[in-house]
Amino acid sequence: MMDVKRIISKIERDYIISNLKKEERIDDRGLWEYRKFQIESNVIASAEGSADVSLGKTRIITGLKYEVGEPFPDLPDEGVCTVMAELLPIASPLFERGPPDEQSIELARVVDRGIRHADCVQTKKLCIKQGVLVYILFVDMYVINYQGNLIDAGAVGALTTLISSQIPEGIWNEKTGEADWTGKYLTGKDIVNELPLAITYGKIEDIIFLDPNLSEELVSDGKISVSVTENKITSIQKSGAATFSIDEVKMLGKKSLEIGKKLRKDLNFLQYQSK
Amino acid sequence: MPLIIKDEYPERLFREDGKRLDGRAINELRPIKMEVGIIPNADGSAYLEWGNNKIFAAVYGPREVHPHHLSKPDKGILRVFYRMATFSVFDRKRPAPGRREKEISMIVSDCIEPLLFLELYPGTSFEVFIEVLDADGGTRCASTTIAALALADAGVPMKSLVSAVAVGKIDGKKVVDLSGIEDKAGEADLPIAITWYNEEISLLQFDGDMDLNDMNEFLDLAKDALKEIHQIQLNALKSKYIKLQEETLKEKEEKKGEK
Repeated sequence: MMDVKRIISKIERDYIISNLKKEERIDDRGLWEYRKFQIESNVIASAEGSADVSLGKTRIITGLKYEVGEPFPDLPDEGVCTVMAELLPIASPLFERGPPDEQSIELARVVDRGIRHADCVQTKKLCIKQGVLVYILFVDMYVINYQGNLIDAGAVGALTTLISSQIPEGIWNEKTGEADWTGKYLTGKDIVNELPLAITYGKIEDIIFLDPNLSEELVSDGKISVSVTENKITSIQKSGAATFSIDEVKMLGKKSLEIGKKLRKDLNFLQYQSK
Repeated sequence: MPLIIKDEYPERLFREDGKRLDGRAINELRPIKMEVGIIPNADGSAYLEWGNNKIFAAVYGPREVHPHHLSKPDKGILRVFYRMATFSVFDRKRPAPGRREKEISMIVSDCIEPLLFLELYPGTSFEVFIEVLDADGGTRCASTTIAALALADAGVPMKSLVSAVAVGKIDGKKVVDLSGIEDKAGEADLPIAITWYNEEISLLQFDGDMDLNDMNEFLDLAKDALKEIHQIQLNALKSKYIKLQEETLKEKEEKKGEK
């Protein structure tokens, strides 16, 4: 069993902070360095798209299911994409079973907003019959092991899932008033446009660092997650008790676009497109 | 909620050549892969791929009982939580646990409890969490099998392992290890588990109809399959330590080289 505690000892806390002050990390990373991402797509046969993403020892499995239903009245020609997250009790002694708590809702919401505001999912292509029938996509994330920074791993998982997806293509049948299958599939190529990523930083005292691991997350005063596409910032979430100066936020905005660009290139998402 | 492709079952469950739809003989198991120690945070854990089933199990304990009133002063308690992921089935499952999941949790718990020495752990609980991420028939048997393995990986004293498999009848023929389609379109389904310390049955359910002759044949069919599964479980446990041994040997040799 790994050492997983709710409370970090003063000695460990001081050790983490003194390391950070020297611009060093307890796991030998630099301040602006990610742990290693490992991605595998199409791992769940029952799902229409799926991804198994590890960020260091944090591991999330994401799957996509679809339903068809009525569109929202104000968006009659657009499909819907929702994100859910579950912090499984297998993943950490810190997680309890039961209905979603604040942490899992924040994870789902931040990933959802990153996708929603980035022009990522082409919701207009998810319309079968205007005002009557559209696709509803469910992107559900399950945390398998928790070692810090679920948001960035979740965002990569959700994105890979959407890219790897294969959803039966429906065509409206006037006679039956139902959708028939055309025999073809809508794939990630059809429905995914921008590739949004969430970039999360921890803050302890006045030190800011990328991708907090579990110990760092537990001792940090707060976090900030910045979702970015190629050229734009699409959502920001500050959480925890830390406060950030205006200059710091400006710096993080710039940094996030740079880190996002590099990560997007390194992970090469388009390789997961279903053929 | 409606889907564009409907969930339909084939009329026949055997191919022209007498094999089952996935190419198996009547007494052949699907490919099974088990691995222990897969979740670093857990006290014990195991992962199983059984055909298209993909299941994680993790054990936490002995630990404080929460809520406290469930704790027993004279012995520990075992709690099993079987859950399915929303995307593990054809129609998206609702995220909240349903009646089926609660029933299976109880059945698996009852099946495993006789293996443990709970009287040695008064006032504490062992919690076994089973998460089915991909389901294709036989998940209660697969879950029982993998839960026992996760407990063993956690170092919890056990009398033995338990192995489970479903036997059943499809198109009038008795077969072992029903797949999802065979389970839904077949005529009978009999999940069965054996605790190996006394070689007795610790899980048994049945849906369908059979005569006495059928029952005898079902039980004999299951026994051979269960032996095979038990061997896979033992190999999975051993291979963790073989791997560890190889790693330490390697390290030692590297150190020697440095000197």
